[in-house]
Amino acid sequence: MEFGIFSIGDVTTDPTDGTTVTEHQRIKNTVEIAKKAEEVGLDVFATGQHHNPPFVAPANPPVLLSNIAAQTEKLQLSTATTLITTTDPVRIAEDYSYAQHLSDGRISLIMGRGNTGPVYPWFGKDIRSGIPLAVENYNLLYRLWREKNIDWEGKFRTPLNGFTVTPTPLDDVPPFVWHGSIRSPEIAEQAAYYGDGFFHNNIFWPTSHTARMVKLYRQRYEYYGHGTASQAIVGLGGQVFMRKNSQDAVNEFRPYFDNAPVYGHGPSLEDFSTQTPLTVGSPQQVIERTLSFRDWAGDYQRQLFLIDHAGLPQKTVLEQLDLLGEEVIPVLRKEFAASRPADVPDAPTHESLVIRHREGRDPIPGGGPGSRAYADRQARAAEQNDTQGADRR
Amino acid sequence: MRILSVSTSLSEDSTTLKLANKILAAATSAVEGIGLTVETDHVNVRNLSSALTDMALTGFRSEELEAAFAQVTKADAIVTVTPVYKVAPVGLHTLFWQLIDEKTLAGKPVLIGSTGGTPRHSLAGEAVLRPMLSYLKGIVVPTTIFAATDDWGSIEGGRNLNARIRQATEELVSLSAAIHGVAPVSPGSTEAAGSPVQTQGSGEFGRPEQGRRPSIDDEFNPEFITPFAQLLEG
Repeated sequence: MEFGIFSIGDVTTDPTDGTTVTEHQRIKNTVEIAKKAEEVGLDVFATGQHHNPPFVAPANPPVLLSNIAAQTEKLQLSTATTLITTTDPVRIAEDYSYAQHLSDGRISLIMGRGNTGPVYPWFGKDIRSGIPLAVENYNLLYRLWREKNIDWEGKFRTPLNGFTVTPTPLDDVPPFVWHGSIRSPEIAEQAAYYGDGFFHNNIFWPTSHTARMVKLYRQRYEYYGHGTASQAIVGLGGQVFMRKNSQDAVNEFRPYFDNAPVYGHGPSLEDFSTQTPLTVGSPQQVIERTLSFRDWAGDYQRQLFLIDHAGLPQKTVLEQLDLLGEEVIPVLRKEFAASRPADVPDAPTHESLVIRHREGRDPIPGGGPGSRAYADRQARAAEQNDTQGADRR
Repeated sequence: MRILSVSTSLSEDSTTLKLANKILAAATSAVEGIGLTVETDHVNVRNLSSALTDMALTGFRSEELEAAFAQVTKADAIVTVTPVYKVAPVGLHTLFWQLIDEKTLAGKPVLIGSTGGTPRHSLAGEAVLRPMLSYLKGIVVPTTIFAATDDWGSIEGGRNLNARIRQATEELVSLSAAIHGVAPVSPGSTEAAGSPVQTQGSGEFGRPEQGRRPSIDDEFNPEFITPFAQLLEG
């Protein structure tokens, strides 16, 4: 199982002293946070993609991820998320492929649609087509990473004639893709169809809802024959703030929570902590809460924490990383591993995907022979033949 | 038949609560009059005030709010009663209907009730709530009920109010029965008891197995989702 952090790169005024870091400082801080993540023993650093203030998460995440890759050895580098709706799939294929080579296979992607209406038209798109864009663009990206001399025509971008992505993915194995969605069952279905991972940010909604999305993905993953429901590749977000003494954590974090972008000036810290996975308290409380995710999500593969937002000072964020690395993650690793059934896969890595590819076990989109989806397709085809036969008679 | 009252009772013993209870009682006897069983329940929007504000500001849907929305989805008919302030339903009440999922009321008969100090407020429900509930695809019955202070104080006012309640609840109940394929039977008919005519579906009232509209839970049910191959075809 992978543990890591994800950042949205918000530039937020620290509500306790009114200071705001510059964009330049925030960007440098982000790199420092990622390096620190590796140093304290975390597995993953993930960045959002943003095109509007107050965020300085990169518009093209491979720029930041490649820079971090050059300064780290083992850290897995991910997005959270790549905007599959407004970014040209051809550029996603090219840029992430390049970053995958630079990082020796340490790149993975979480696809997201983005929820800011005004961003879409800046790129000639319309938020009302969010789902169709995600569907068509990813389908093209999937092919671009696996086929050469592609002829393609769709609704949302100019046609391609004999197009081949350069560079082709490292070892002919594309970066692993997760599909992220808070609310849309279509995206859980999409992840299941391709045998890709499903990631839920697990921050703003009650766990009962997140559980519903994860369950749907698992059921459909099995339906498409990529493995049993319990073998589906699930990732979850979460957010934590820790101090040795839990009351200190609450007191220190409260002003940041109350003024945070998105949920500030809304629910109380207490309500939000009860009803969403937010945990503000001691490392032990974070351990217990995180282990409880397994009760409703099943054994899963990737856990990312949000720790660097809402104007928290850089020093505080680095202290959070120390606590995660020293006290939380080692226990979580041990506990999750202890109860994980042997047939539940680990988080995919480039190495494991290369082996899977060489052994001919890559997932077949829509389900290959032996899957229920395949059997259903055969049955439908037979039915149609019958009807046509009857018509002819 | 499940009838749910979604009402905003700002004080503990408000006239809005009194009116909602009177309407539910009248609806209950109207349902029993056509030989069906009835379950009534009450959502007091007052208890959701913080949750509604949180959702408006941050999009965060608390569990209590989700539960209330789910109750609306499950109901066969809705009664919604609000106090009127400055010739409009109080903002807290409209906020509930403004934040609920689109089409939640599809195919559901809805009865509007409102309360106010003087008859000058009597058309507020008509003017504001009727279009809003129609937007949510609710079928709002023609008669709305307004109760002013006079209606609670004088004998004649009380009689008029009761007559209006009877009229509106009969509209609500016969419409629900018609929608769910149960023939309304005139009160007192001997054939009424125990033998409602079902023309579609099976079993429980309002829960036909076929042709049921998907609820929020169904959206995440593998049986109801759009298969990806279909999404891919566009």
